[in-house]
Amino acid sequence: MDFKNFSLNISQTKVNRFVDELSAGKFMATVCKKCGKNYYPPLADCSNCMQSDMEWKQISGEGTLVTFTKIHVPPEHFAVRQPLMPFSSIQFEPCPIGLLEVEGGLKIMGWIPKGDVKKIKVGMKMKASPFTLPDGKVTIILEPI
Amino acid sequence: MRKVAVVGIGHGKFGVRSDASLRELAFEAVKACLDDAGIPLKEVDSMVTGIAGDEFALGLQPSAQVHDYIGFHPKPNFRVEGACATGSIALRTGIMNVASGLADVVLVVGVEKMTEVPTSIATEIMGKAGDSIWEYPFGTTFPGYYALIANAHMAEYGTTEEQLAMVSVKNHYYGSLNPYAHMQKKITLEKALTSFTVAYPLKLYDCSLITDGAAAVIIASEERAKVISKKPVWIVGAGLATDTLRLGDRKSLTSILAAREAAKTAYKMAGVGPSDIDVATVHDCFTIAEIVAYEDLGFCEKGEGGKLIAAKETYVGGRIPVNVDGGLKSKGHPIGATGVSMAIEITKQLRGEAGERQVKNPEIGLAHNVGGTGQVVAVHIFRRE
Repeated sequence: MDFKNFSLNISQTKVNRFVDELSAGKFMATVCKKCGKNYYPPLADCSNCMQSDMEWKQISGEGTLVTFTKIHVPPEHFAVRQPLMPFSSIQFEPCPIGLLEVEGGLKIMGWIPKGDVKKIKVGMKMKASPFTLPDGKVTIILEPI
Repeated sequence: MRKVAVVGIGHGKFGVRSDASLRELAFEAVKACLDDAGIPLKEVDSMVTGIAGDEFALGLQPSAQVHDYIGFHPKPNFRVEGACATGSIALRTGIMNVASGLADVVLVVGVEKMTEVPTSIATEIMGKAGDSIWEYPFGTTFPGYYALIANAHMAEYGTTEEQLAMVSVKNHYYGSLNPYAHMQKKITLEKALTSFTVAYPLKLYDCSLITDGAAAVIIASEERAKVISKKPVWIVGAGLATDTLRLGDRKSLTSILAAREAAKTAYKMAGVGPSDIDVATVHDCFTIAEIVAYEDLGFCEKGEGGKLIAAKETYVGGRIPVNVDGGLKSKGHPIGATGVSMAIEITKQLRGEAGERQVKNPEIGLAHNVGGTGQVVAVHIFRRE
């Protein structure tokens, strides 16, 4: 799968496998075979020992929410378009996002689709899951456990 | 290392400058700077240009637009960038030029023409100053990143939305007194608190402005500074530090660790501490950023930043006046120009030329400029004779 289906931005990386696994429902990190350091997002190279002998490892998506927000003014890529129908309006209700700390201190960013932003609290237990959007792109969602 | 002093300052009008191009904005600041220094351009040996985004300049090598337009060729000029810290990185590069002996007199120009692109595009460009691969797919924007920091700070230390709004009220008050500010308008706490949400919990009045503008300084070696200026302002501390690209990889979400590192270096080099600082400009791209800056610079204890503004300690007459030029919040934030503008304000304050905004008899000033979400931070300390 083209990496752009996740990144929206670049299409080429050495960790392309991440999106294939994500579309198959798995969260993958990389681990340095030499020093054992875990990387999420998965990286192809270990800056801890400056070598590139890495292996893939599935990680659990369960963890604790460390922070969140709800972005009402989105960037161009997510910009709300004017409606084509005259005299009508688009009601925009953006989806909150959060940062979840999982095993080993790794942090996973994701959308919180069912979150009322006033009820989301730092410290909540949540689970990150891969999610395939209607247009075929893959992303990550966070849900309360 | 040779001593370095600011000997000339020139500030263009910040705002939506639909009347001028990037190079014309730069010219305004350079002209004002040469006038202030009282020297012709031919006495300048070298130049550094800070422009953050090719995406805003709509072309590669925008620094050439600037040196061509002011007629600086064939002397050296190049561009540096570090997102919102670009201006301070340009200053640091200028300092390196003078301190090393490569040049005696250096012109440092910071400029950005952000409104050349629509707001949604500007929002996208800024959002990609985080990790454009791993964070941007979640719709991150600059207010979004600082909102993540704000919610973490509020959860950990009980910082309130009112305290955030108080930063905005202060900076708008001082911006109303600064003729170069983008938004010379006082606001009330209620107005700040009831403005629309940009990225929860940050509201419109928690956010700095998308602004066009330019600022320039001339710095010189000790020998030249004493000839050029009656009131040289010495740059006695220069710190720069970096941190991870992604917020998720940071050791702390409630502190900008690169700011702590850069401040430590700058304080050590200057031989001073936080309590010696008489006036400061800090990177208030968002109100939460100013509160975090109080803590990172040691103006208060960790977690006490909200209380410091609530007690009005960062007003003129308070314990440590901060952003009494209006800050990025009210003065505006043309990203390449911001760091240079900060150096200008501190120089003005130390020269005693800040008019209604003047802090009483300051001797030592500090400028703190954060790039991106803290991937690179520069801190400079200035001292008058």
